[in-house]
Amino acid sequence: MLVETAGLTKVFGEVRAVDDLTVKIPDGAIGLVGPNGAGKTTFLRLLLSLVRPTAGTAKVLGRDIEDGVLVRERIGYMPEHDCLIPDMTGVGLVSYMGRISGLGRDTAMSRSHDVLQFVGVEEERYRKVAEYSTGMKQKVKLAQAMVHDPELYIFDEPTTGLDPRGRTEMLDLVRTIAKSPGRNVILSSHLLPDVETICKYVVILDGGHQIAAGELSQLLAGATDRLRIDVRGDREGFARMLNEGGFDADAGPTGLHVARKPGLEAAVFETAKALGAEVRYMGKEIRSLEELFLELVARTEKRGA
Amino acid sequence: MSITLPTYSRLEIPLLGRRERLWAIIATGLRQGVRRPAAIAITMLGAAFTTITSIILLFLSFLLPAGQGTGLSFFAVPASNPFVLFFVSAMAAVIGSGLIADDIQSMAFTLYLSRPITQLDYLLAKAAILAPLVALVTILPLLLTALVAAFLGLLSWTIALEAMGISLVIGGLLTLFYTAVTLFLSSLTRRKGIAAAGVFAVNFGLTIPAAILAESIQNPSILYLSPWNDYLAIANAAFGASGAGIDWPVALAILLGVTVLAALVTYVRMKAVEVITG
Amino acid sequence: MNGVVEAAGVSKWYGEVLGLNAFTASFGKGITGLVGPNGAGKSTLFKLLIGQLRSDQGNITLLGENPWNNVPLKRRLGYCPEQNQLYGWLTGQQFVEVLLRLDGMPAAKAREEATAALKVVGLTDAAHRPTRGYSRGMRQRAKLAQALAHHPEILILDEPLSGADPAGRVHILRTISDFARDGGHVLMSTHVLYEIERITNNIVLIHNGKAIAAGNIHAIRALIDEHPHAVRIDTAKPRQLAQALARMDHVVSFEFPASDTLVVRTRQPDAFYRELPQIVSDTKLEVHGLESPDDSLDAVFRYLVG
Repeated sequence: MLVETAGLTKVFGEVRAVDDLTVKIPDGAIGLVGPNGAGKTTFLRLLLSLVRPTAGTAKVLGRDIEDGVLVRERIGYMPEHDCLIPDMTGVGLVSYMGRISGLGRDTAMSRSHDVLQFVGVEEERYRKVAEYSTGMKQKVKLAQAMVHDPELYIFDEPTTGLDPRGRTEMLDLVRTIAKSPGRNVILSSHLLPDVETICKYVVILDGGHQIAAGELSQLLAGATDRLRIDVRGDREGFARMLNEGGFDADAGPTGLHVARKPGLEAAVFETAKALGAEVRYMGKEIRSLEELFLELVARTEKRGA
Repeated sequence: MSITLPTYSRLEIPLLGRRERLWAIIATGLRQGVRRPAAIAITMLGAAFTTITSIILLFLSFLLPAGQGTGLSFFAVPASNPFVLFFVSAMAAVIGSGLIADDIQSMAFTLYLSRPITQLDYLLAKAAILAPLVALVTILPLLLTALVAAFLGLLSWTIALEAMGISLVIGGLLTLFYTAVTLFLSSLTRRKGIAAAGVFAVNFGLTIPAAILAESIQNPSILYLSPWNDYLAIANAAFGASGAGIDWPVALAILLGVTVLAALVTYVRMKAVEVITG
Repeated sequence: MNGVVEAAGVSKWYGEVLGLNAFTASFGKGITGLVGPNGAGKSTLFKLLIGQLRSDQGNITLLGENPWNNVPLKRRLGYCPEQNQLYGWLTGQQFVEVLLRLDGMPAAKAREEATAALKVVGLTDAAHRPTRGYSRGMRQRAKLAQALAHHPEILILDEPLSGADPAGRVHILRTISDFARDGGHVLMSTHVLYEIERITNNIVLIHNGKAIAAGNIHAIRALIDEHPHAVRIDTAKPRQLAQALARMDHVVSFEFPASDTLVVRTRQPDAFYRELPQIVSDTKLEVHGLESPDDSLDAVFRYLVG
């Protein structure tokens, strides 16, 4: 198990930031999502053993969070906010952090160069961090999390401030790390489509509780018994013709949704041919993580209200 | 067989322990700290100046016809070298004020704390960066003065060694005091300029007005407020001289108390700093 | 001359540093997304549009007028800057009110409009709490409220979604859509491309201070000749289908990434989609799924900007 908690609770004054949380998170690429104030931040702080729980216990990679130093030896944390030491060079900073994690001086330097190469920082590594662009800074932040080759990476909004190209690069790096055998990733982000493409398992927090958790494919399984079709042309007419043909179709804002039945796919193209319409998409009624998330949060709100 | 660039390499060696991790912080901190020209200048000047003036003061105290007590008591004079006060303030301000403040400003504190070290480790390492440099001004000059005096035959070797021992203790106390107070001030703010100003305020802002006030209202108890005067009282008592005006046990209690308090409060504050912003 | 924003050869330099370089485009009706790498010129463009800067060369007009030194025009636009620093000690309500009154609105009206605007963005519950306690998403909504409160004709939003949680994002996007539906124009910039695709198909792509492309995402995509349009088809008989499709002369290549998948690349996607149903129906080959993975803003960006 990557993370196991039992009744984990953290109270700040009157606020129950994390409330009696009992979860079992498996190894792999894990998404951590939740609205603001859901307790994600506090949960991460508890995992990193930077705050002591008010009640309950937790184990990360089999080590109790009581011993923070032991836990942090195997974690690489990439914070959301700026945190680099401006006066140091890229390679100097990364190897410094490696040494503080327990690498010898030469190992740290060697790893630092390797890791900076991996993330794509070339000659800039010899310049002071203060002169770096946003994209470079994010890469150095990733490098310092990687230098000691931790078993668990915690990424907190890794694409903040990056332009589209930077976002793609960063997500590719995260994905490569997540796929590396024996390495685990917890990705905490508000950008749910990013989480969808990288993570296999998702934990959804709200109000200090876990409101859902599981394999993404299962959570989103939903209605595999319906087909979604994007039609360009007479949408209403298309739906009508399919209905007349014995199918159960309805035209909504996100396209046509039709209950699967044998012969449906052929009928779709026949109808398109007959109407002179175009089929631009045909496939699973994709339920996105975002939809699921909003649904669950609304449900929790209703229950709490 | 195909060749590709290595993608993600793994590391399979055991990690080094706490001592090496702290040493990394101390060594890097010392290197960064003395890289700046201002820092080098202050340190060199401070060490040289205080040493030379201490030696001169010792000579002068022999020449004065006061001629009292054992040879050891002469040592109280170089130990009371006022240039120490000036240079310690300067060093604390130039080198020490940014030790924690810079990390709060850049939020690098988050990186430190996400590493396998504790807040206590972090503070100890920072203290170990500042203390040796301060000791160059508070302890080293006195040691060198004793050595020089012994070589020139002004003091017997026995007394010189005794003086060196006592210098280590009281110089050490002064070093701890300034290290703790500077780190405390550095942890209060993001701007190291403010911390530096704080150090000067603690030193001169307390020393000079206290001395003036004590004179004018003829009440020496006010001198307790001035850390420098507390130190003088202890130094004089340690070397067997007299004439400090205030009692050394109380002075000692005050200096020690402030040191411990500053250290504790800094530690508590460090534990409270938000490492992950929500 | 029918664009909300008309720019002709606009250049702006900061000493040697490039802001915009002969930027020419016409856009802005409805919702327009402004996309480009960091440093491309987006903030410069915004500052020119809100009248904070004057161009060194060329002309730019907003709603038909020159924005420079144009106070009445400023009243017709609502601007939401990127920075998240609000006056922490003010409550949300006070923040919006104060800015309205600085604009010259009388106090009572300002209070009314502020309350209404905060309601639109969903901050009514938090309106009387100091903004320093707001989450990033709430601060974005507060800024949006202040931009909307004086009922502008056009909203100019710089990264309005950054830092917002999913619910906040949905709310902001809905507010923007409603505003556009009621006749307003919106110009928004963001780095997260699928956010734009959510609410509009119109974009302006900026790179190196120039407008590389402006208009409908799909139309732009279709014009990128070098990267023929890829269509992924799930079928039990990919090779037979490929043979049938090869008839179309705009088809460039086929790929068979799996035993039940065919990827077709075509230079003319419109023609392809028009002719596809006929071919499928005639050959009676079973097609289970159809998708065009690179007909997206992400693809457009990647192909044009790299």
